[in-house]
Amino acid sequence: MAVVLLPAVLAAEAGGQKRFELEAATVGDALRQLPVRNLLFDEQGELRRLINVFVDGVDVRGGRLLQEPLQPGSEVRVVGAVAGG
Amino acid sequence: MAVVLPVGTRKGLFLLRSEDHRTWEVEGPLLEGWAVYHAIVDPRDGTLHAATNNPFYGASVHRSSDQGKSWERSEELGLPEGGELKLNATWHIEPGRGSELWLGGDPGVLFRSDDGGRTWQLNEALFAHPTRERWQPGAGGMCTHSIQLADGVMYVAISAAGAFRSEDEGATWTPINKNVAAEFMPDPFPEVGQCVHKLLVHPKRPERVWQQNHCGVYRSDDRGDTWERLDGNGLPTSFGFPLALDPEDPDVAYVIPEQSQEHHYTADGRLGVYRTSDGGASWELASNGLPQRAWVAVLREGLAYDDEAIYFGTQSGSVWTAPRGGSDWMEAARDLPPVLSVEAAPA
Repeated sequence: MAVVLLPAVLAAEAGGQKRFELEAATVGDALRQLPVRNLLFDEQGELRRLINVFVDGVDVRGGRLLQEPLQPGSEVRVVGAVAGG
Repeated sequence: MAVVLPVGTRKGLFLLRSEDHRTWEVEGPLLEGWAVYHAIVDPRDGTLHAATNNPFYGASVHRSSDQGKSWERSEELGLPEGGELKLNATWHIEPGRGSELWLGGDPGVLFRSDDGGRTWQLNEALFAHPTRERWQPGAGGMCTHSIQLADGVMYVAISAAGAFRSEDEGATWTPINKNVAAEFMPDPFPEVGQCVHKLLVHPKRPERVWQQNHCGVYRSDDRGDTWERLDGNGLPTSFGFPLALDPEDPDVAYVIPEQSQEHHYTADGRLGVYRTSDGGASWELASNGLPQRAWVAVLREGLAYDDEAIYFGTQSGSVWTAPRGGSDWMEAARDLPPVLSVEAAPA
């Protein structure tokens, strides 16, 4: 069981739920189970450019991204990239 | 008559309500975290619809059937999987015939909903238009920002693709850009590629169509077959974004000119609304009560009108209103986030 944590705007779109416990083998499996998946992925199935994902504190854009394997108890944190001014 | 103004801003939606057009209550922000490019109250059932965009989470549409207390997000909205194009932004929502609802977006796309905005179907004819390869994005993206339906005819306008007309409910689209300048193109009068900023059809005289363009103000009296340029005779510049009409008099129109295409702020350093009462042959300043010195901008969706008044919002967060005719302006709200859109509906 992995835990996924959402930022405020996404949590509002998920009916106010910020924390999800999911059975998922990879980051992609976990994110695609979320009720806000169409805000995370575009119509071509790609993770939107300004969304970062951290697994147990490590940015998976520097690794295997959606293929990053999850372990029982992994914490997946969805974070908007630092952008704007 | 009591009125509600859905005011879209870069930081959510505000609802401005007034019983007398003099005192205003401001509710919001609603849809926090979303830039609301356009919002309407559907006159058929009172549902609020908002074209919502977020730099992280993409383009969406939200709807509320309880005056903004709770919101649903459209679930099925996007371009075909496996294609090269993605939906970059949602720009304009327009009620259509029967129960249909139309949505314009970037890149130059149009969607139709038959279930009140829950799901959206792409208009294939516009998406696959044979001239699409000659379209190009303006500074705001390649946005379908104007959708008009009148007398069995439908119009869309896209920056910078031009204006198009359909007489078969969107099955085919004919470019209607004759005599409309595209001075930034090698051929200044091409078939398509014009940068329309706003297009409106007069509700009582549906063959009369107005547009504020990147290159001038125009009027057509033959449903867009031909256009007459109107920006001499009183307008300080030909450049601007918003446009408003009068609900009864088809010879009246309002524009808010900007300094130039390089300088997007009000012309001559004043907040000037200009009105024509003779179909665009002449223009006069209708700015009593507005700041005499101002360098502000009113975006393409930022000017609205109803049976009693006209309204506009600025990028500096003010909303102004005046009775029909634009004679005396008063500030309905100030210090909002940058205003992207204003509409008006009975409260």
